[in-house]
Amino acid sequence: MKALTANRLIDGEVVFWQGGQWVERFADAQRFADDDAAGPAAVDAALAQSTVVVEPYLIDITEAPGGWAPVSYRERLRALGPTNEPSHGKQAEGGAGIAALLAATGAARSTGRVDLIRRK
Amino acid sequence: MPTLIKLADGRYSAAEDVFTIVADEDAIPEGPVILSLTRFQAEGDALISAGRPVGVRILPDEAVEDLAYDLPRLAVVALVFPKYADGRAYSSAALLRQRFAYAGEVRAIGDVLREQAAFMVRCGMDAFVPADGSTAEDWAAAAGRYRHVYQRAVDARAPVFEERG
Amino acid sequence: MYRYDAIDKEFLADRAAEFRGQVARRLSGEITEDQFKPLRLMNGLYLQLHAYMLRIAIPYGSLDSRQLRRMAHIARVYDKGYGHFTTRQNLQLHWIKLGQAPDILDLLAEVDLHAIQTSGNCIRNVTADPYAGATAEEIDDPRVWSEVIRQWSTLHPEFSYLPRKFKFAVTAAAKDRTAARVHDIGLVLRRARDGSLGFEVIVGGGQGRTPYVGPTIREHLPVGSLLSYLQAILRVYNRHGRRDNKYKARIKVLVASLGAAEFARQVEEEWSRIDSPQADLPDTELARIRAAFTPLAFEVLPPHSETFEAAKLASPALARFARNNVKPHKKPGYAIVEISLKAHGATPGDASADQMDLVADLAERYGLDDIRVTHEQNLVLPHVKLDDLPAVHAALAEAGLATPNIGLISDIIACPGLDYCALANARAIPIAQAIARRFEDADRSELIGELKIKISGCINACGHHHVGNIGILGVDKKGEEFYQLSLGGSGQEDASLAQILGPGMSAERVPDAIETLVDTYLSVRQGEERFLDTVRRVGMAPFKEAVYADAH
Repeated sequence: MKALTANRLIDGEVVFWQGGQWVERFADAQRFADDDAAGPAAVDAALAQSTVVVEPYLIDITEAPGGWAPVSYRERLRALGPTNEPSHGKQAEGGAGIAALLAATGAARSTGRVDLIRRK
Repeated sequence: MPTLIKLADGRYSAAEDVFTIVADEDAIPEGPVILSLTRFQAEGDALISAGRPVGVRILPDEAVEDLAYDLPRLAVVALVFPKYADGRAYSSAALLRQRFAYAGEVRAIGDVLREQAAFMVRCGMDAFVPADGSTAEDWAAAAGRYRHVYQRAVDARAPVFEERG
Repeated sequence: MYRYDAIDKEFLADRAAEFRGQVARRLSGEITEDQFKPLRLMNGLYLQLHAYMLRIAIPYGSLDSRQLRRMAHIARVYDKGYGHFTTRQNLQLHWIKLGQAPDILDLLAEVDLHAIQTSGNCIRNVTADPYAGATAEEIDDPRVWSEVIRQWSTLHPEFSYLPRKFKFAVTAAAKDRTAARVHDIGLVLRRARDGSLGFEVIVGGGQGRTPYVGPTIREHLPVGSLLSYLQAILRVYNRHGRRDNKYKARIKVLVASLGAAEFARQVEEEWSRIDSPQADLPDTELARIRAAFTPLAFEVLPPHSETFEAAKLASPALARFARNNVKPHKKPGYAIVEISLKAHGATPGDASADQMDLVADLAERYGLDDIRVTHEQNLVLPHVKLDDLPAVHAALAEAGLATPNIGLISDIIACPGLDYCALANARAIPIAQAIARRFEDADRSELIGELKIKISGCINACGHHHVGNIGILGVDKKGEEFYQLSLGGSGQEDASLAQILGPGMSAERVPDAIETLVDTYLSVRQGEERFLDTVRRVGMAPFKEAVYADAH
């Protein structure tokens, strides 16, 4: 499965696509099946919102026992916040969604990250 | 037609562009023309002898030194910005003015944006074909954003240490 | 300190106004992100993992209490109450909003601060010896020349769109506290045999993907010719540096591919054609800048302070602090005080807004209002009276700023890494914290002596791992964070690049590996040898064997 993420232009906040809106919590993100054309379509729509978000891209996500989480460690960090300061970033909110992210383990390169590197 | 902006006596104005930029594969039309360096080296002499105003466009990896002997006869040197971030044209312009005392028009073409206007002017460019729709007023405003400059460059602006007296 | 006059202040105001306009045009869509990105980078604004990061320039690492307090204020109001001091003597704030950046630049400009050219493919902050003006061993004050270069390079019209970033370091003492030999240009002030002042010009040093100790391309450049010569170097680089591949675009690649001799020849040829009287700084302006750094109002004091000696006897903590964090000053009765931002378990290089205010207060009260940032992510009060050291130490200790570990094993350089940085492959901060905790014991740290550990979260080497006595590079191995150790690097005057020790290891193994390296060193060290000296003497083999003893 995939989700669509970007950074908000005005403040750099990590955001996720949810039905045409941008939400701040990964737990609220829309999930696309890997072969669902709605995913790339959402990327195109996001690219057209160039005064709203910067660098939208799809990331791989996986269903872990606690809940959904990005496959890649880097994307989990984006969804949580820095590990050296648990009171900073989205992780400070706590709750089930954050707990699911914290419980997720392992990592492979996220599709989104790989795409970004190729694009450069 | 993209706007040609000229700088003269400290003032910017929209100007009619009488020059045709001629691609290497095209036939050379009548009137003033701007040729690539290689084409100029092959066919330039004949055109100049015929009394036509001729210009040369210089790509970032081409050396203005190659034009040294021809500069007095050239009406325009057009410096190409394939991407605005390619800063080689700034050195080319500075060399044209300072090393070779070129007195003709130094024109910026390509990915020419008002955010870099001030640098272009300070390096000695005096004609601009903006790619971002900038008017002469936009260009003047962009080039005049700073009341002071810290270093001497090609233009006549006094650096801060001369302002202080 | 260089004081901004009305003209300098107008320049900062114009810069802040320009950026405000550029942000507005980006938000309205008039300019694209691709067009905007270099503009915001040239005002120090990066888009990172969690937010924008603002890198505020601290020119040659020098600031006063008013400026440090303003940074603390901005950290409180616009960030999360802290900042990170970097390996280029700048300050980073990691939670900035683009929409607020113009206001922040205005606030900075009010106290003569800015973020001009702290990123982008242009000339960056010129770094200098943090002990400038305080150490007895300097030939001349490197801040004078750093300020000269700063002004010359600010919005230089020919050199603002270089192939890649460009970093200067200026040093004037026998001991190099700037890593000059791994900079794009390192300038070492020297006196020629006839006594004239000049620079040894080192070009093409660098770290990152392809590290180099830079060659000397000119042994002695008379100081008066500095700007014309730099113009020649920058012009050769601007014209001939590679622009086809971001990873081959630094000047070090050009110097290496041409060879130092040919590169030097091209520079000399360009220099010979430059109108030097036009390009060089007039003597009057040089004198004006130099006057800003004339010696401060030092008191005439005895070299020995009874107060300080007695306090050391009474307080082992103060004595330990004095041994490690206090350095000799050129004036009798004064000392240079290093403030460690490497408290064990804290984030290396970070200071809270409260801590910044405290340092500002101490500088104002006890330090002739002079504060420095080192490229090892620590702070310095360069002029403190020995008599005042007990009071300064006590205040620092109360604020968690008195860790007596300067230059010791827990004085670790670490980049922000994957916790913050969009470029990173692995985290650096937790590795630093784990090592620092393992070597918390102060006696043991002093026994080990000088040992510089430097950690980078990716190949860009912002943690300077190539010049660590122990360098640690975080890599991404099949999605896991792995760490590659290297030994024998030095960023000082005896510059050398660290050599890879062996295969990368997981985060959990790193503190054990460091412990093994330390034990190996202690078992074979001779006399007063530093770790680095031992590595150079015995080679990698004993260390490699010890660390990978159980490898299969």
